[in-house]
Amino acid sequence: MADVKLPFEETLIPPARRGLSLGSIVLLVGVALVAVIFGLALLRQNQTQPTSGPAPDFTLITYEGEEIKLSDLRGRIVVLNFWASWCGPCRVEAPALQNVWQRYQDQDVMMLGVAYTDTDSKAQAFIDEFGITYPNAPDTGTRISDWYNIQGVPETFIIDQEGNIARFYITQVNENILSTEIERLLRGEF
Amino acid sequence: MLKQLRNRLKLQRRAACFQIMSGFVIALAAGFLFAHPLIAQDDTIADDAVNAIAKDLYCPVCENIPLDVCPTQACIDWREDIREQLAAGITRQQIIDSFVARYGERVIGTPQDPFLRALALVTPWIVGLIALGTAAMTFRRWRGASRPPVAQPGLPLTHTDEDYRQRLENDLRERR
Repeated sequence: MADVKLPFEETLIPPARRGLSLGSIVLLVGVALVAVIFGLALLRQNQTQPTSGPAPDFTLITYEGEEIKLSDLRGRIVVLNFWASWCGPCRVEAPALQNVWQRYQDQDVMMLGVAYTDTDSKAQAFIDEFGITYPNAPDTGTRISDWYNIQGVPETFIIDQEGNIARFYITQVNENILSTEIERLLRGEF
Repeated sequence: MLKQLRNRLKLQRRAACFQIMSGFVIALAAGFLFAHPLIAQDDTIADDAVNAIAKDLYCPVCENIPLDVCPTQACIDWREDIREQLAAGITRQQIIDSFVARYGERVIGTPQDPFLRALALVTPWIVGLIALGTAAMTFRRWRGASRPPVAQPGLPLTHTDEDYRQRLENDLRERR
């Protein structure tokens, strides 16, 4: 005799579950989300300073109130220096940067100083102390340092006449290093 | 008798005058004593007042270290900046806003990257909603499990009756 089930018996047996439970889905989504966050953070950490290609454009307002846009300086060599008043090597290289500026300012060379996470009063005191005359500006919102992925200070980028990064220095620079590179670019050797 | 009464009144007046004068001098001295530290505080803002704001700020140079305990020169300069702003009568929120404007939202612990920032702001809400939904569903499931359905023979309970009927008729046909 066949095994006959009564109607009410049918309803008492819970239907077999198919697929993942809600808890498993939530757990999987959570794990995926954490993986994405860690992945992005890792990706960001591994980003380094650009050493070639177009220099990220920016506009800065100097401590004197002058507005300077990097792309407006096309056709000139730009020495972009990130510094801070609390940074020891920045104090060492400051006279060299000023000397290079004095030497090349009439030869289509522009020097820009960007004060990284500095207070206005300390930055201004630094500028006065070293008699710096080239334009300097605060990195408002630390945006410029973000675009250039700087890891610390001092860091210096030399941007050629076409707006491309020609050279990047992660350490303090001296007159000789800067002059050599500027001379090369002035000769049109890109 | 009248003279004695006058002398007595005179003495009482002198005593009253003395008491008033003494009270005045004491009040002046107390005022000076209590007012003095307040005058001093206007000139120098206490470290605690600076750190109360600094503990909620982060210097980009020293990641994940609150400004109040960060030992670098950059952080010392920032704390000095807070002190100067407090001395100038600027409020806590205005000081924090000025730091955000100058150094970006990372100073209050918010990521600079737009995607990460959006993720950081939205994720807690999403996780909270998912947790709430899961908790509600689990609760409903527990309640359902604790109350087994009462089966009544003869009464159709579910849509599976039709399947059952079909299978039963098939079985009966086979037997015939």
